[in-house]
Amino acid sequence: MTILKYNSREIRLDEEGYLEKFEDWDETVACALADSEGVSKECPLGEHQMEILKFIRQYYERFGSAPVARAVCVRVQQPGKCEYVQFPDPITACKIAGIPKLETGYPLM
Amino acid sequence: MAKVPKPNELELEHGMPQTGWMDTPTIFRPGNFSYPGKAKNLKVVGLANPREWSPNDADWKLPADWKNILLEGLRERLDKYRTLKVYMDICVRCGACADKCHFYLGSGDPKNMPVLRAELLRSVYRKEFTLAGKIMGKMVGARDLTEDVVKEWFMYFFQCTECRRCSLFCPYGIDTAEFTIIGRELLNLIGCNIDWIAGPVANCYQTGNHLGIQPHAFKDMIDFFVDEIEAVNGIRIEPTFNRKGAEVLFVTPSGDVFADPGTYTLMGYLMLFHEIGLDYTWSTYASEGGNFGFFTSHEMMKRLNSKIYAEAKRLGVKYIIGGECGHMWRVINQYMDTVNGPADFLEVPKSSITGTTFHNAASTKMIHLVEFTADLIKNGKLKLDATRNDHLKVTYHDSCNTARGMGFLDEPRYVLNSVCNNFYEMPPNTIREQTFCCGSGSGLNNDEFMEMRMRGGLPRANAVRHVHEKFGVNALSCICAIDRAALPTLMNYWVPDVTVYGLHELVGNALVMEGETERTTDLRGEPLPGMEDSENEDI
Repeated sequence: MTILKYNSREIRLDEEGYLEKFEDWDETVACALADSEGVSKECPLGEHQMEILKFIRQYYERFGSAPVARAVCVRVQQPGKCEYVQFPDPITACKIAGIPKLETGYPLM
Repeated sequence: MAKVPKPNELELEHGMPQTGWMDTPTIFRPGNFSYPGKAKNLKVVGLANPREWSPNDADWKLPADWKNILLEGLRERLDKYRTLKVYMDICVRCGACADKCHFYLGSGDPKNMPVLRAELLRSVYRKEFTLAGKIMGKMVGARDLTEDVVKEWFMYFFQCTECRRCSLFCPYGIDTAEFTIIGRELLNLIGCNIDWIAGPVANCYQTGNHLGIQPHAFKDMIDFFVDEIEAVNGIRIEPTFNRKGAEVLFVTPSGDVFADPGTYTLMGYLMLFHEIGLDYTWSTYASEGGNFGFFTSHEMMKRLNSKIYAEAKRLGVKYIIGGECGHMWRVINQYMDTVNGPADFLEVPKSSITGTTFHNAASTKMIHLVEFTADLIKNGKLKLDATRNDHLKVTYHDSCNTARGMGFLDEPRYVLNSVCNNFYEMPPNTIREQTFCCGSGSGLNNDEFMEMRMRGGLPRANAVRHVHEKFGVNALSCICAIDRAALPTLMNYWVPDVTVYGLHELVGNALVMEGETERTTDLRGEPLPGMEDSENEDI
């Protein structure tokens, strides 16, 4: 376990930098994770980014899985490849959304 | 995760090593090993010695009697597997296999020569199980089993993709992959395995697939692809799940349900089955065609394979069709019948569309979708417009397991030639039986192992680059889910202008469906040839 310090917050991450507890996430945590992933130093994050993050979290809560990457853009009504535009890739988007790393046998693409 | 060097930064030498192989230490550095299996995943399936550890630790926290466990494990397997015993004794170390391994070609590390990889285990066998080795030791290539040897095994048995290209060139027919399979099985006895295998195995055991997709998520994902197909051609498909009494159970790797570009391949499956009116069902329990248990132990392979047949029995289907996958077929073709068969509660597969009986699957009752589709085309049951793939110049990567593992060479090419007009073969010594591995098979397609993956994939990528430069090839087709996951990364690294396609994605592009609206795009939303000016929706 590691501690990510962000302003006055201390955020608990696992050894690979994933948020330890799904429930610990809020918009400030998203900023901290985006900062540590080198995605954005802005806080709050952009509207399109937050739409994607919230959808990923809702999907995980309901289905216990990350969503299919290209389904995300359709569901949040953003152009295709939105996760690549708003974040470097779907893996980083999922990480900033605070869902656990998925041990899949396949990369998230 | 390690930073991956750029292609021009990779150092590659095949020169003479400075020290003898027994005296060369094993050095774990970022990029040349996979993370170890997490304790929680080992516990799920009852694997030995669950703990948190790292290959970089001096102390691997092995069980107190680890040496005895390994030697007894080896003794048991020498008795059980006659091939292993024969392979231990008959190698003359001629070196015919040495430069056939993609990992040796891409790394220059002599311990990636198949002959030497086998020698890592064979040297211990000599010391413990042969009179000459016991008496003469190192003189006859025997050595003691030490913790350093265990570390060396871990490094090199997880730097082999079990692709068997080496075995093709062995004058004695030694299957070096069997050394890797047994080596990994032994390592598992003392808790030394990798998480990219242990995680999917645990997921598969608990939820039915490697990705851990639960039934409601599995259905939701397929429903999304149904919507996608409707957006492309106006056809609404209604797949069924867990339906008792269906004629066919369809099982594919879960990567097709989740990860691009396999998801487009899955759209091709849905379209094909709808068009021919196949009476089939998906299962949300047997929702994995792959079998990472095969990369763990024979026992684990058997456990994970059995669920497909248990589900087929529960649903009362007649036979099983498997989707595009590689190692799934090695398990089905070479092991299933002896470990879980015969599946005599099923019927010998007979296509209700063409009337063809697949006697080749008389015992396993499970056929590969590509042979099923080839049969449909051969019998004129599909209306295909190959010009819809005219924007692609296609080559074909034989998956090691379907090509070398089951002799599946011509069916995919027959389908390809029916659905596209521009098909170009890579050089003869890189295809069919001699195909080069993607470099990421057998559970090694993880991020932390990326440098070795790009090195191991170099021979394959080099052949793709050849046809790319010579013929303008821009599409690499394949029939394996790990290929679909691994080759895009490999192409992006070595041949960036080439895109990866599953074979049934190309079938889906070419398939003319009854009642379809005018097709303007392929399954990816890219404009079809001649439709570049159409207003395309972003799908």
